[in-house]
Amino acid sequence: MSGNAHSEHAAGKVRYGMVIDLDKCTGCGACAVACQQENNIAFRPDESNKLRTISWLTLYRLENGKDYPEHREAMLPRPCMHCDSPHHAPCTFVCPVNATVRDEHTGIVDHIAVRCIGCRYCMVACPYHARSFNWWDPKWPKTMEAMLSPEVSPRMRGVVEKCTFCHHRLNRARDRARINGEDPDGVEYTPACVEACPTGAITFGNLRDPHSQVAKLAKDPRAFRILEKLHTEPKVYYLSSEQWIHKQSDNDLS
Amino acid sequence: MSLGRRAFLQFVGGAIGGTLLTPIPWKLADDSAIWTQNWSWRPSPERGEITEATGTCLLCPGGCGIQVRLVNGHRAIYVKGNPDHVVNRGGLCPVGAAGLQYLYAPYRVTQPLKQTGKRGDPKGFQPISWDEALKVVAAKLTELRQKGQPHAVACLTGQSRSSTADLWKQFFAAYGSPNLYTMPCHSDSTRLAVALATGQEADLAFHLEKATYVLNFGAPLLEGWASPTRAQRLFSRWQTEQPGVPETEFVHVEPRCSLTASKADRWIACNPGTEAALALGIAHVLIREKLFDAAFVADQVFGFEDWTDAAGAQRKGFKALVLGKYSPQDVASLTGVDAEVIQELARQLARQKNAVVLWGPPTDTPNNLYHDLAFLALNALIGAFSSKAMISLVPPQPWQALPDPAMDMEAFKGQGQKPLGQPASTPKTKVRPNTVHAFFNALANGEEYPIELLFIHEANPAYGLPENALAVQALQKAGTVVSFSSYLDETSAYADLILPNHNAFERLDDVIGLPGAPFAFYAVATPILSPQYDTKATGDVLLSLAKALGGTVAQSLPWKSYQDLLKLRAAQIAQAGSGTLVDATFDPASVAPGAPLKPNFSKASDVWRKLTSGLCWVDAPQALDRYATPSSRLELACQGLLASVSANAGDELFMAHYAPLNPSGDAGELPLLLITHRSLSLAPGYVPNAPFMNKLLPDDLLLQQDVFVEVHPSTGKKLGLRPKAKALLKTPRGEAAVRVRFAPTVPAGVIALPEGLGHTAYDEYVQGKGVNANAMVEVQLDPVTGLGTVWATRAQLRLA
Ligand code: SF4
Ligand code: SF4
Ligand code: SF4
Repeated sequence: MSGNAHSEHAAGKVRYGMVIDLDKCTGCGACAVACQQENNIAFRPDESNKLRTISWLTLYRLENGKDYPEHREAMLPRPCMHCDSPHHAPCTFVCPVNATVRDEHTGIVDHIAVRCIGCRYCMVACPYHARSFNWWDPKWPKTMEAMLSPEVSPRMRGVVEKCTFCHHRLNRARDRARINGEDPDGVEYTPACVEACPTGAITFGNLRDPHSQVAKLAKDPRAFRILEKLHTEPKVYYLSSEQWIHKQSDNDLS
Repeated sequence: MSLGRRAFLQFVGGAIGGTLLTPIPWKLADDSAIWTQNWSWRPSPERGEITEATGTCLLCPGGCGIQVRLVNGHRAIYVKGNPDHVVNRGGLCPVGAAGLQYLYAPYRVTQPLKQTGKRGDPKGFQPISWDEALKVVAAKLTELRQKGQPHAVACLTGQSRSSTADLWKQFFAAYGSPNLYTMPCHSDSTRLAVALATGQEADLAFHLEKATYVLNFGAPLLEGWASPTRAQRLFSRWQTEQPGVPETEFVHVEPRCSLTASKADRWIACNPGTEAALALGIAHVLIREKLFDAAFVADQVFGFEDWTDAAGAQRKGFKALVLGKYSPQDVASLTGVDAEVIQELARQLARQKNAVVLWGPPTDTPNNLYHDLAFLALNALIGAFSSKAMISLVPPQPWQALPDPAMDMEAFKGQGQKPLGQPASTPKTKVRPNTVHAFFNALANGEEYPIELLFIHEANPAYGLPENALAVQALQKAGTVVSFSSYLDETSAYADLILPNHNAFERLDDVIGLPGAPFAFYAVATPILSPQYDTKATGDVLLSLAKALGGTVAQSLPWKSYQDLLKLRAAQIAQAGSGTLVDATFDPASVAPGAPLKPNFSKASDVWRKLTSGLCWVDAPQALDRYATPSSRLELACQGLLASVSANAGDELFMAHYAPLNPSGDAGELPLLLITHRSLSLAPGYVPNAPFMNKLLPDDLLLQQDVFVEVHPSTGKKLGLRPKAKALLKTPRGEAAVRVRFAPTVPAGVIALPEGLGHTAYDEYVQGKGVNANAMVEVQLDPVTGLGTVWATRAQLRLA
């Protein structure tokens, strides 16, 4: 168990989080592609069975439910919410082997694939469908093995995986800070999706730092979180000026 | 060398010394140790020194700057946008972000290949050496020239904005063939419209950074318009409140509820193909209510009032035409847009200081000439061409082009031949009409004269040409087909010889001009890593072919290497002494047409160094103060058309007017209208979808092998279909199995099919998914320009 998690949770000065501006997001999917190449996410010839596909950052289409020509659609990119509910995120609570834990220094919910026994309790527990299961051995076309990143271990059949807020990039940044003699806690870094977005729709940073852009945007009147009523305390916020989008924030993603 | 135990210990010691400072290797080492113990068959990525290389994405003409992370200098693992680059400032489109999957694609052509069996037989390809392959091609070229048939050589290139395209031009001029084409796109028709209206050969430059009001007739701004990532950034800029910058209102006109329509401030739904009628209806209100820029029209415009043609005949002008035929009520019944809305749009447009009208078909195909002229006319009325300069022109060659080709008798004779299939009506302007469809049509049907040697460069017409079956037939009719493709695609499958180009990440190349952008542009793409296979840059191949031919052809292409030519460009820039080398801090809003930017460089070597480090050369566009037309004005009545349309043609044939081309087929049997559209997550062009991109496709767009067509629920019910039902789609061009998505994104009676699916080549990650939209649509040749237009196709949908 995560020891004195609660006290640290309350006092910790670092909570990495994300704000995604749906007014700017065009649903292009560059973020999701960047996520796949950064994290060695496996792919298969057929990716249309969405219950079997592996995806850390998934784009959902929202519709306003009206008829032509009042109809409108919008895209919503969904990474892991890195739920900040006290003591536990829904997924960490149910994991019998501590394979998924929240780092209380950063708020990042990690999944340690080598510990995972594949029971998939966490997948059931996660209200955001943020977790995928490796139903098959990952297999890359031989020539594409050359583009696997050495920074992230490829996963195996039988384990769960999910968005890590590009944790290895945080490690890289902390490292750099240490070498430069700076405080590694709360160091700034950029996940792959944020970097790739052509519209600048995603802002990332420390929600506990009141001067950070992400903290300011999280308080924007356009801000909301998905399924707020469950008190999972997502650290991913969304911005939208559309009322019909706000209204859907309490609906299930499916 | 063997590693002694002592040396080994020292080595480990050193490693530990390093890792103490940096905890990552510890963590990784630990992690990977466990992993390799448990699963030895899992690929374990080679580790090593990580470096970053800077370059330019060549996967579309968008000109984005990229940075690629490499392991040990030879393994490219991650591509991202260059944050300091003027075009994309760090972002990428999904094709660019998935770019390394093309570099490492299993369907790359790894060495020159020769078809030894029947054309089209995938098993018939056998390796051939470069020397031998080049000899074969050079011999064929020499033979045709000796026989006095240089015009029997043709080329289709998909890379029209690069020095390779200029090399092709130079080669074809010196060799003597008029049959050089580029893959069709919207600028094929706008360039002709611009040439007729202004007398210039130029691309339109839209000053969208300055715009306060953008009225867009169908251009797929968020689905891959012009320079796709730049378009995304523009949209984001309009959505961001910035102190001191007026907000931009974005109004979008389109029949389908695309993402651009959904994200626009306002979406005006119109009947398919009627956007130009709406533009003319708005022009009517502007004229009737005297809301147009009267000073500009009086000073600079020809053909607004009635006019007299060269033969002395009295002709009606644009004003009379529009006031007579396009009242809001008339236009409302054509377009389905309320007359009040038309009036309101006209008044809004007139009220705005910095308004501009954008347009374009949803799939980047040539437009009906008269419709392009209608949007130009609307821009003229609102004063977008005036000193406000919301629109200006960028010449395709911003500086001195290549030296004039040396042409001998053969070259003159060959060049003098009519381009194969080109209709006689094609307007004679400075712009060479890119009549690809007419060319393929004549070749497929064996008309006029045969093509003995056909080059295909960075293009995949057998898949990507609307009515692609025509390209396939034509490929089978051509004498010898030489492909330069890096990939085994639908077209190279039909080649007799494949001389593979380096992939986009492996070659030195350049980008000349940025579509739609309000500045002249030049960027150099430096190779990210060395070629993975036995490939050659097509530019260099062309130079060695020219050398082998000798004589005036060799004289006209004197460069030792393609790199030398690009360096010459840098020298030309240095010499011209105009324009600036810029990074992301450059703001296009600061550019004024006709005010050249001050150079921040001196020597050619300086320019080259900066260009290869990721800076781009930009300069101001031309000011539109001179018109090289017969009237020396902006011509709303195009006198350049006098030679194309018959002398007793009706007055409206010189002017913008609504001229829909009737789709073929029986409306009783094919009662629906099929429209096609693009999305950024479906690569429509020379490269197919990368495996990464397949994950982006929702399961109501592609389910296993089935693509979904969008159908309005009321239409679906009437046809006896249910959501997700399997159905048969039939058009005059083909039949295909699909599924239906009940979606109120289209009006009743209209169905929509995405582009980018239905490949038959490449590998298991690409082929056999859905239907190729190009195989279903009907191409209609514009009766004036001869360009292949696509707008709507009659269709039938029935339960399968
Ligand atoms: S990259 Fe940006 S604009 Fe594109 S889908 Fe992701 S968040 Fe949206
Ligand atoms: S979104 Fe799901 S996976 Fe992520 S922390 Fe919350 S419960 Fe866990
Ligand atoms: S928009 Fe074009 S140039 Fe830019 S990343 Fe995408 S494919 Fe490459």
